[in-house]
Amino acid sequence: VKEHDFKKCDQSGFCKRNRAFADNALQSNSWQSPYNLLPETKSFKDGQLQATILKTINANGDAVKLPITVSFLESGTARVTIDEEKRQKGEIELRHDSKARKERYNEAEQWVIVGGLTLDKGAKVASEDKKQITVQYGPSSKFEAVIKFSPFSIDFKRDGASQIKFNDRGLLNMEHWRPKIEPKQEEKKEGDEGEEKKEEEQKVEAPKGEDESTWWEETFGSNTDSKPRGPESVALDIEFVGYEHVFGIPSHAGPLSLKQTRGGEGNYQEPYRMYNADVFEYILDSPMTLYGSIPFMQAHRKDSSVGVFWLNAAETWVDITKGKDSKNPLALGVLSKTTTTTHWISESGLLDVFVFLGPRPQDITSKYAELTGTSAMPQEFSIGYHQCRWNYVSDEDVKDVDRKMDKFKIPYDVIWLDIEYTDEKKYFTWDSHTFPDPVGMGKHLDAHGRKLVTIIDPHIKNVDNYHVSSELKSKDHAVHNKEGSIFEGWCWPGSSNWIDAFSPAAREWWASLFKYSAFKGTLENTWVWNDMNEPSVFNGPETTMPKDNLHHGGWEHRDVHNLNGMTFHNATHHALKSRKPGELRRPFVLTRAFFAGSQRVGAMWTGDNQAAWDHLEASIPMVLSQGIAGYPFSGADVGGFFGNPDKELLTRWYQAGAFYPFFRGHAHIDARRREPYLAGEPYTPIITAALRLRYALLPSWYTAFYQAHADGSPIIKPMFYTHPGEEGGLEIDDQFFVGNTGLLARPVTKEGQNSVDIWIPDDEVYYDYFTYNLIPTTKGKKVTLDAPLDKIPLLMQGGHIFARRDRPRRSSALMKWDDYTLVVAVSKDGKSAEGDLYVDDGDSFDFEKGQYIRRKFVMEGSTISSVDAEGRDTKGVKEGEWMKKMRGVSVDKIMVVGAPSSWANKKEVSVESEGKSWSVEVEYSPAAKGRAAFAVIKKVGARIGADWKIVA
Amino acid sequence: QSLPRGVGPEFAKFYESKAPTFKCIGNPSIVIKSSQINDNSCDCPDGSDEPGTAACAYIDPLSPEQPLPGSATGTTNTTSALPGFWCANEGHIGSYVPFMYVNDGVCDYDLCCDGSEEFAHVGGVKCENRCKAIGKEYRRIEEERKKSKERSAESRRALLRDSAELRRKVESRISELRQEINNLEVKKVDLQRKFEEVERSERGKVVKDEGQGGKLGVLLSQAKARVKELRDTLDKVLDQRDDLQDRVDKLEDILSKFKEEYNPNFNDEGVKAAVKSWEDYSASNTGAKDDIADADIMKVLEEDGPSSGVNWAEFAEGDGSDADIVYNLEAYLPSFVRDFVHEKLNQARVWMIENGILADNPKTGQESLLVKAAREALDAARNDFSSKTSQLEEQEKDLEKDYGPDDIFRALKGRCISSDVGEYEYELCWIDRTMQKSKKGHGNTNMGNFVRIDREYADEEERVDGKSLGKGERLVLRYDNGQGCWNGPNRRTDVWLACAEKDELWKVSESEKCVYRMEVGTPAACEDLHEPGVRTKDEL
Repeated sequence: VKEHDFKKCDQSGFCKRNRAFADNALQSNSWQSPYNLLPETKSFKDGQLQATILKTINANGDAVKLPITVSFLESGTARVTIDEEKRQKGEIELRHDSKARKERYNEAEQWVIVGGLTLDKGAKVASEDKKQITVQYGPSSKFEAVIKFSPFSIDFKRDGASQIKFNDRGLLNMEHWRPKIEPKQEEKKEGDEGEEKKEEEQKVEAPKGEDESTWWEETFGSNTDSKPRGPESVALDIEFVGYEHVFGIPSHAGPLSLKQTRGGEGNYQEPYRMYNADVFEYILDSPMTLYGSIPFMQAHRKDSSVGVFWLNAAETWVDITKGKDSKNPLALGVLSKTTTTTHWISESGLLDVFVFLGPRPQDITSKYAELTGTSAMPQEFSIGYHQCRWNYVSDEDVKDVDRKMDKFKIPYDVIWLDIEYTDEKKYFTWDSHTFPDPVGMGKHLDAHGRKLVTIIDPHIKNVDNYHVSSELKSKDHAVHNKEGSIFEGWCWPGSSNWIDAFSPAAREWWASLFKYSAFKGTLENTWVWNDMNEPSVFNGPETTMPKDNLHHGGWEHRDVHNLNGMTFHNATHHALKSRKPGELRRPFVLTRAFFAGSQRVGAMWTGDNQAAWDHLEASIPMVLSQGIAGYPFSGADVGGFFGNPDKELLTRWYQAGAFYPFFRGHAHIDARRREPYLAGEPYTPIITAALRLRYALLPSWYTAFYQAHADGSPIIKPMFYTHPGEEGGLEIDDQFFVGNTGLLARPVTKEGQNSVDIWIPDDEVYYDYFTYNLIPTTKGKKVTLDAPLDKIPLLMQGGHIFARRDRPRRSSALMKWDDYTLVVAVSKDGKSAEGDLYVDDGDSFDFEKGQYIRRKFVMEGSTISSVDAEGRDTKGVKEGEWMKKMRGVSVDKIMVVGAPSSWANKKEVSVESEGKSWSVEVEYSPAAKGRAAFAVIKKVGARIGADWKIVA
Repeated sequence: QSLPRGVGPEFAKFYESKAPTFKCIGNPSIVIKSSQINDNSCDCPDGSDEPGTAACAYIDPLSPEQPLPGSATGTTNTTSALPGFWCANEGHIGSYVPFMYVNDGVCDYDLCCDGSEEFAHVGGVKCENRCKAIGKEYRRIEEERKKSKERSAESRRALLRDSAELRRKVESRISELRQEINNLEVKKVDLQRKFEEVERSERGKVVKDEGQGGKLGVLLSQAKARVKELRDTLDKVLDQRDDLQDRVDKLEDILSKFKEEYNPNFNDEGVKAAVKSWEDYSASNTGAKDDIADADIMKVLEEDGPSSGVNWAEFAEGDGSDADIVYNLEAYLPSFVRDFVHEKLNQARVWMIENGILADNPKTGQESLLVKAAREALDAARNDFSSKTSQLEEQEKDLEKDYGPDDIFRALKGRCISSDVGEYEYELCWIDRTMQKSKKGHGNTNMGNFVRIDREYADEEERVDGKSLGKGERLVLRYDNGQGCWNGPNRRTDVWLACAEKDELWKVSESEKCVYRMEVGTPAACEDLHEPGVRTKDEL
């Protein structure tokens, strides 16, 4: 990374100012926040409190008005929004004849929030006096917000105990609008009176050295930001009382449990930064910004989770400090606990924060999902394996790779084309020399159910005789520069313009480009990859757009920067829904840049990593963090993008990648070829087995994706999430559970490593996935597992039932009609287990009309049964085409791992289903040499979609 | 017929139609009900109960391991007893289809033209029997191939004849050269003897140089010439240095601009590494070395004379040698006496030298015409000898060189073929080099120089037009060490050869940067039809 290409806090004026503000406040004993809520302005109605805060701006007592709204939502979430009256009313003057809007950006909600805003009519004022007002809200009114008037602060409590405090340290800062005071000699044109007044203001405006140097313009590198609205940052301290760990605010290449950022041993010096950027060769263990941002943070201590969502799309920095000494002693407990204080700083926009009071991690993710939406149901193929490279050089090359994968019996679903397929980087075109027959190529792939993904980026080559460029310009769908004309910058094609996906008309036009009839050479199995949408602008400040660029509606780029990638991703997502009249299929679009809400429109990956062991290691906390922040359809480039992985690294990376929700192998154009079949013995067979493991478990992965779609659950889950009461696991970020399967994976991420230590969160039994060996585990302790190169450390936690499809096939599409294998990992009590399965057509939206199978499997004593997980009478569902075909799909075998010894003498069990009963063979293998006893129930033969019961 | 679905002829004996039970082929102790055969659920640990479904396809070392009681390894990491699903393909050629292809909803006509592997019609797929058409087409192509193969073989025989002829030429050239070398050997000895004679007889003669005499004079004239020569060279080197310095300055200028203006976000490792090297280079360059001042050089370059450099004139008038004295004396004698004296003196001198009385003091600079002629004749003979010897070595080496099977590429050496691909024309010169020629005028790029011939296994789809490597062992010509890539390795090309009627460059690809692959048809790669190993369906 070229570190000097990206700002440090003290190179970013508003960050520097707010850090200085914080230093000043925290070092002073007499600091008092100048924000006071005027009790006489407040009103409370239908779960919403409105009032005005006065910010005192000088010693004379002059103040500005900041309207505040505190909304209590039905979900139990509270929202605090603070605006600025002068800007709201447009009573400000912009410099440089700027055409920008005068308000603080107030449309983030329109892009991000999709629900959950219904006000809690049950919220009520519990008490009120001259100093504060207390509102009770949430489920059973267990939540309280204590709003103090002077200085303004809020204390959010659960069950009477403080959880989250706003402005407790007095770092609330909303930089109000002020006119620029030019040096006196330049004030010739103003009248004497005004001049005097302004001079006066200037004196009080900047008491004892307030740093004005970055108020009016800022230069970084060779670029100067004209800042027509002057200083306008918003900042707030948010304290998590008694919480030692905070998670979230992806994407950063560091540990899942966020580090402190104000220096000290092992801590960062810089705040976590969120400013979506194309960071070339990013460094690890760093708070530096990456490609996407989700300003959502979850705090956790034993048995309690709370969280905040900072809805602001401008450049944002978050300082994190932890301390044992809290100004306010904790309401509960004698032991001193660690409290984490965060300081959120955004360059512009509203102050708009959502507060979640838990108490379980699932409560936080589901409430957050209610607001920002959940992961879209994916195209089923997209959770298989993706084979990518910059670049497959020709249509023949693509077909050749396809044939080789078949020849080596390696399953894969998708092959990808990077930028070189285009005619000189003009998207929506093909290089006629290297890709003369894209249709033939597409059909070739389709023969085995495979797909093609082509890259389409937001920069449009600025060149004559290119219809996309001429339309973009003539129809004015592009982002504008600060003067209001079409912005021109550099990216892959050289001189380029950028589509402004904030504009509805631009999105409509964008959609028209993807029609099969318009983007010639694409077929129904063609899908899309959106890269460079931070946006990456090679010659722009920090490799992105100037902040004073203008978007649709007159908003400055600074206001919407972090949203930009999502709007483009969203535009493509919707474009793929309208490629042909009457066709309505789930789009697949991968994005690099993202924001809160991007999960609704597709998958993301962690950007341009490197072929190095530490990047493999870092990928796991990064992917876990995505899941915690509501965007679980994520993965890192398998093999590492830059450089050449040795074969051991490549193999281990495939074994880890088989557990990324998004599983794609990728390589830089200068890297050597590394398709799995090239690795040779013994690597290729080991990689193949890892890929086949992913494919065998696809039914369980798909079920986990369904869960994520239903309630915002992560797909791979860290220990703190599944075992929130186990303190020993709160920081662990190198192992995880897959969905609700009880599968506990701990990928090998070190060179030459032949064993791993797995931390065991509970006293359940654990079986080795591959051998059924009973692992000698102790709750809260680590167990060492052998992990030679051909072994993925993978355990089955007792008490679960999960589904597999064991027949190796060439692609997921060709597994659609295969029978299922169920694996029962019997609980420590020797007689119980539970699990679920979700299946649908994997392609259409018919699942929204009941066209799906959702089973709950239960083992109780000597019976195993399958019932509809929602208690539906499935006979009542009118079967569509897919459902009818699924009638032919059955449960083949059931592997009962840890089968009770009472099964030892059984030769047969009886199956009852759909009014019939029959008996099937059982084969029991007693425990031996560390392996648990297991039984195989052979050819069950009951339909997967039907209720059935097995009695042993 | 009553065999279970998917059983190949060689396994028929295991599947008796009437038997109520079935013994797993690899584990006969495991007996299952016959009704479990092909019931779409795997019972035998070697997969033998499911010859006609995909139910046992996971019994495969490539699948994730699971315990499998009864199998040879106790796990699924073992081998199936059956090679695949037998597709009879009546009207065509029967073949085994991998179990994982059975009932997956795809008609794999290339393996199973009768469509029988999709008997379950999963997802509604119906694979009609296409064996009639496919078989017919196959036979037509086979016939075509056979004919083509014959024609190709004929071309190859022609090449072989050419090669043999070329080889014969080399061989005859070798024997010619050997004869000539023998003759030269004799001649050389003769001339050596003559030269020594002449030299001996001339040894006593002292030839006076015009104007200057004695060994010092000779030395002087040589030194002077040498100094002049060095000075001229220095002058030239200086010019060259200035030119190069200009170029270095220009390049450094370009590179500094490049470093300042390049965009690190083009994600080009090459550019990045180049900038880094440039930084290292400019850093290491700052410690200035002792420069030779140009003035010093200019001083050296000045013509020698009384005021600068060497004053040769001073040396020219030095002391005479013993020989000078003799010659000085001579000058006063009449000519006939002088000749006589000269003759006698010479004889005396030779006698004295030969008897060790006088030191042998041959003149290194000047020699008589006679000696010179003798020496030149000898040198010429020696040169001739060594040139012929090296020619011989070359020819012998060429004879031993690997020109592929039957020396076949000897006939192609020196010939080139080319093909247009996009903006480039690619050229293959047999046993020489490969080349990329830009049509946009960006110059030519050497993609590798011939190194050796290898054999590798090819596995490509057969094409109807025959322009494919197909499957089997193929000749691969390695061309290495071509032009270097930007911050990368030198270019190289693997040239894969397949049998064809004429030389043709079918395909050029660059699957990764600077590693090229050419697929080339040539009769040279055809098999000798007299040998066994003609391609059969089994290889497909």
